[in-house]
Amino acid sequence: MASPLILLPGDEVPSEYLPSNNSAPLRLGAGLRLLSQPSSNPPSHVITATQPGLLSTDNKRNAVSILSTPNRRYLPTPGDLVIAQIHHSSPDYFHCMITPQAPQALLGQLSFEGATKKTRPMLKQGDLVYARVLSTGLGAGAEVELTCVNPATGRADGGLGPLTGGMVFDVSTGLAARLIKASSSSAEQQDGVAGLVVLDELGKKLEKAGGFEIAVGRNGKVWVDCANGGDYAVKATVAIGRCLSTIDEHELSSTDQRKLVTRILREMKIES
Amino acid sequence: MNKEAPLSIAERDFILNALREDVRLDGRQADQFRPLNVSFGEEYGHVKVQLGKTSLIVRISSEVTKPHDDRPFDGIFTIALELTAMGSPAWENGRQGDLETYVSNVLDRVIRHSNALDTESLCVLKGVSCWNVRADVHITNYDGNLIDAACIGVMAGLQHFRRPDAVVKDGQVIVYGVDERVPVALNITHKPLSVTFHTFDEGKRVIVDATRKEEQASEADVVMGLNNAGDVCYLSKFSGSPVSAMVFVNKSSVALEKVKEINGIIDKALQADLAKRAKGGLIEESRATNDR
Repeated sequence: MASPLILLPGDEVPSEYLPSNNSAPLRLGAGLRLLSQPSSNPPSHVITATQPGLLSTDNKRNAVSILSTPNRRYLPTPGDLVIAQIHHSSPDYFHCMITPQAPQALLGQLSFEGATKKTRPMLKQGDLVYARVLSTGLGAGAEVELTCVNPATGRADGGLGPLTGGMVFDVSTGLAARLIKASSSSAEQQDGVAGLVVLDELGKKLEKAGGFEIAVGRNGKVWVDCANGGDYAVKATVAIGRCLSTIDEHELSSTDQRKLVTRILREMKIES
Repeated sequence: MNKEAPLSIAERDFILNALREDVRLDGRQADQFRPLNVSFGEEYGHVKVQLGKTSLIVRISSEVTKPHDDRPFDGIFTIALELTAMGSPAWENGRQGDLETYVSNVLDRVIRHSNALDTESLCVLKGVSCWNVRADVHITNYDGNLIDAACIGVMAGLQHFRRPDAVVKDGQVIVYGVDERVPVALNITHKPLSVTFHTFDEGKRVIVDATRKEEQASEADVVMGLNNAGDVCYLSKFSGSPVSAMVFVNKSSVALEKVKEINGIIDKALQADLAKRAKGGLIEESRATNDR
């Protein structure tokens, strides 16, 4: 693979960096936009960055996206997984907060797996859902729409739906993107692209304590639950939160991340 | 929309359950502050306070004005605090919220009304001119416990600040520039600081230095203002559910310990800054002239 490429907003993505697999259509992820150049003859398209960051490509899915810097502002992009909080509900929709001081997003009352008028989930204010951004609309005043099912199959892939119990930790959007990337890419790719081994390490160490469930939202929220943890449930959850926030603040190598996990688990007095 | 984001049910329950097991989200003890860092800018009275993720800047300034008619012997001291959109997206510029009123009120009581700054020493000429000392507090990031952080900032600023020297000659007030005469330190009578406690679980759990999430999950808060000698100069329990009297009795010793600890940190930072300034500073320069 070519050397890493850092782009600034407005920079064009050189074609040699795009995935070469031509059988499937190219998927554009967060931070990239397709611009047409009508002036040139014949009219052509270029892919430009809208955010600064590292270009990351996924040859298997034929996707390309920008791995953004650890900022805190989240802009919804269709296809993103987010953790939203119910603000209030109306007859057709749940009004959700993706980021606290931004306009609310809509989540259909029936956009859940197997939901009908009679069996839809009754969510209260303050409940959390793991949802996918369906559309962001166009122009000013556009509403962001969320969904908890895959519209094509009607199934809740990847654990979409209401989140009960557990705890939510705030991280930067950059770290959230890296966490998602680290969990989706294969092991040999991991060290090069994201370099995040913290979740693997925590998973190994906490296996005896009952393991944990985690959901990462692109909006900089990480939901963690150790429902099987017994006596260690609270401590293990706090330990995971502390590991994530420390990694967010400091740039840590894989070895340092492993050391950090061991140190925090020892501090919290969790046996591993 | 411009309101502090409410906590989700999961977060609120978890914070409470964790506290029942004596666990806090950042692994602190119940009566442990977040790491505190006090640093000073190039000018006198410019302080930066970093308490965990809460950070603020305090700027002390002074000018000569006419004293109030009813208090001809007193100088004027004001603390100005404004919560702007710089500190948190939940705050709006120019609109006063409850938090702003509350924090300014507590600061006024703890520092101004306890006479931490001796205002009589600010008088230059009776009824004609006096010093007006003003402390501006700018919040640059908000993650809970604004009161204590602002208190630390203002007190550190007052101790760090040097006002220009002024003398009265034949009924005329002469103010010397800082490059003409060594500026004078303010007269601090005592060093009060506030310690804010938050209670949970019907008053059974009490913590200091709550983060924003902990503050939102708490049921009540108690503010104590003390100085190094243990004199309580402020005590308040404004809103929230009732707190048993034993909390006040038990926690005042914790508060005293914390005040001593924080004052120690401020003193250390002040001394380090003074030592830095002594090298090639104005004081050194003027001393050399005197030697000759």
